[in-house]
Amino acid sequence: MSVSVIVPTLLRPLTDGQKQVQAQGGTVRHIIEHLDSRYPGIKARLVKDDQVHRFVNIYVNDDDIRFADGLATPIRPGDQLTVLPAVAGG
Amino acid sequence: MSRMLDDASLGWRSGPSLPGWQGLSRALQHHGQCLGLRALDGLAEGAALQLAHPDLHPVHMRFVAPPGLPLESTSEFIQQAACGLMSVHGRASGRPQALGVDYLAALNAALAWQASLAAAVGQLRGGQFTQVSLDPLRGGLLSIGQYLAGATAPEDAERLLPGQDDALARPPFVSLEGTAFELETLDSQPWRHFWHALGLPDSLAGKAWQHFLLRYAKAVAPMPAECLDALARLPLAQIRQQARASGVALVVLRSPAQRQADADYPASLHTPWRLTPGPQAPLRPAPRPAALPLQGLRVLESCRRIQGPLAGHLLALLGAEVIRLEPPGGDPLRHMPPCADGCSVRFDALNHLKTVREVDIKSAAGRAEIHALCADADVFLHNWAPGKAAELGLDAADLQLARPGLVHAYAGGWGDAPVSAPGTDFTVQAWSGVAERIARASGTRGGTLFTALDVLGGVISAQGICAALLDRSLHGRGNQVHSSLLGAADLLLATPCNSTPPSLLQGVFETGDGLLALDCQTRQQWQALGQLLGGTCTPAELPRRLASADARHWQTRCQQAGIAASQVHQDLACLANDPRLADCFGQRAYRSVQSPWSFT
Repeated sequence: MSVSVIVPTLLRPLTDGQKQVQAQGGTVRHIIEHLDSRYPGIKARLVKDDQVHRFVNIYVNDDDIRFADGLATPIRPGDQLTVLPAVAGG
Repeated sequence: MSRMLDDASLGWRSGPSLPGWQGLSRALQHHGQCLGLRALDGLAEGAALQLAHPDLHPVHMRFVAPPGLPLESTSEFIQQAACGLMSVHGRASGRPQALGVDYLAALNAALAWQASLAAAVGQLRGGQFTQVSLDPLRGGLLSIGQYLAGATAPEDAERLLPGQDDALARPPFVSLEGTAFELETLDSQPWRHFWHALGLPDSLAGKAWQHFLLRYAKAVAPMPAECLDALARLPLAQIRQQARASGVALVVLRSPAQRQADADYPASLHTPWRLTPGPQAPLRPAPRPAALPLQGLRVLESCRRIQGPLAGHLLALLGAEVIRLEPPGGDPLRHMPPCADGCSVRFDALNHLKTVREVDIKSAAGRAEIHALCADADVFLHNWAPGKAAELGLDAADLQLARPGLVHAYAGGWGDAPVSAPGTDFTVQAWSGVAERIARASGTRGGTLFTALDVLGGVISAQGICAALLDRSLHGRGNQVHSSLLGAADLLLATPCNSTPPSLLQGVFETGDGLLALDCQTRQQWQALGQLLGGTCTPAELPRRLASADARHWQTRCQQAGIAASQVHQDLACLANDPRLADCFGQRAYRSVQSPWSFT
């Protein structure tokens, strides 16, 4: 199943400058692995020790995967995955 | 109680007050006392303050203003309107409105003092620097610099307008008893656990987190009604218990009077800085500073977020070479959208004048590198968690072994207050009474989501560093200087707020096109407004009377009549195009703010 992924500025050097790319997979983990096969290095920027990096947020549609099943969060046809770097605190 | 600047030869005198902005003079006076300077007799001529010492040519500090916003008819209220602060505060308070505290007075007094102290340092290092000027409007623009950057980014610019969100559906939260309190955590999992334990679905907690996380950056934080309702059904004790179990900090909003009863308050009020002299260290020969007073001085900055980086930015604007120490891979804030040229614009706004060195402070090699860098540095500035500097062997005593004349500065959260919650803008606003004071003035339940204390705390930190550099220049010794968000909050509430006497008419009014802030402080201005509008009018009648022309027209007409007035730009992107402010911005991919000072 193919879904669209919104790529933040941080990762665009890895996606040839593309702001939106397509990827396949049934979970967020599979999507990231598929992305990494097409754009090597992307997984290391998003995931560390099988967890999403602390300062990276991943949303399936509007839902933060940290409040779902993390990398195991399922993906349905038509979903959109957004990567958003953000740091808490002022 | 020890004096901040322990030198009986240092004295100062103030100049005449600005007629409509007495709070600025009061703040200058209070800062002078806090710095421990001897007040000299008489008024300074032609300057807002004059700093004197036998080894110095007197330093004269003047306020200047763009032609479109004359100082003689300005006020705290009008400055908050003109620089966009009202609009940032209004994003989460229902409408564009003033903070209700003399914020820009405190901020600009600190900027005035730090430039004067820096000028004295520059003189003692062989430079001229007898005249300093400060544009308070630019000071105000600096305070909203990160929001202005976000609103003027070339791509994905944020358009966040006053009143777009419900002013009651945002933090602070309210318990069954009606007690307002802040929650704070910098991690998502305690937040998720907390709401889960209260019976809310994780997806809802996630939506709340998304806004909660970004409230520092956007000055808005709309919370789902279900979250607010869940807390409103529970007594505070039960919420507190659950917060503790989840690892979420809870800080109840207190009144200024409650803060004043704290054991640590008198010392904090007396001086927001704690200066501790270090080892004697003869000054090293250095090139004479030419254009800016801190030229030739090197600052190492190991800070995240706003408070510390803003302090470093101000030192860079004063001419210092600032080297940012960032973790391997760089500061994660660099990637926070919106971005320009691959870098977060709000990060760039505070850091574009600095060079970067990536150092792993957790490794022995990284710490050795910092010791080596300190050998050639003048200031080391950090905002690590309490106790971490000592734990890492990077405290003042450690680093002054490498450089005895080092100024070791800490921009912290709580100072000496016995609070275990994270010392962030909103928890400190709650604890200090600032939130309650702003809530009362703004008709909200809590303080401002504009990061008022991070910004003021950063300015205060830079002010303390300039004072420490002057102490070093006068006495040939290193020192350490601590400042905190709580110290900044106490400073903000130290002087009586609002104009004296109260304004006869003050508010933000609709015109034919756009909003106009008016502040009639005298009967003369009140009468002039009546003449301008064809008869004395009440605030309720003003929009009808102002409907015949746009806000810019009325601003000009009011100023011609000697009435304090300013357009209020609700969208910060429009602020950036205001001709009055044309000279205030730098040439970057977004609207950056120029230095508020000039030196001759």
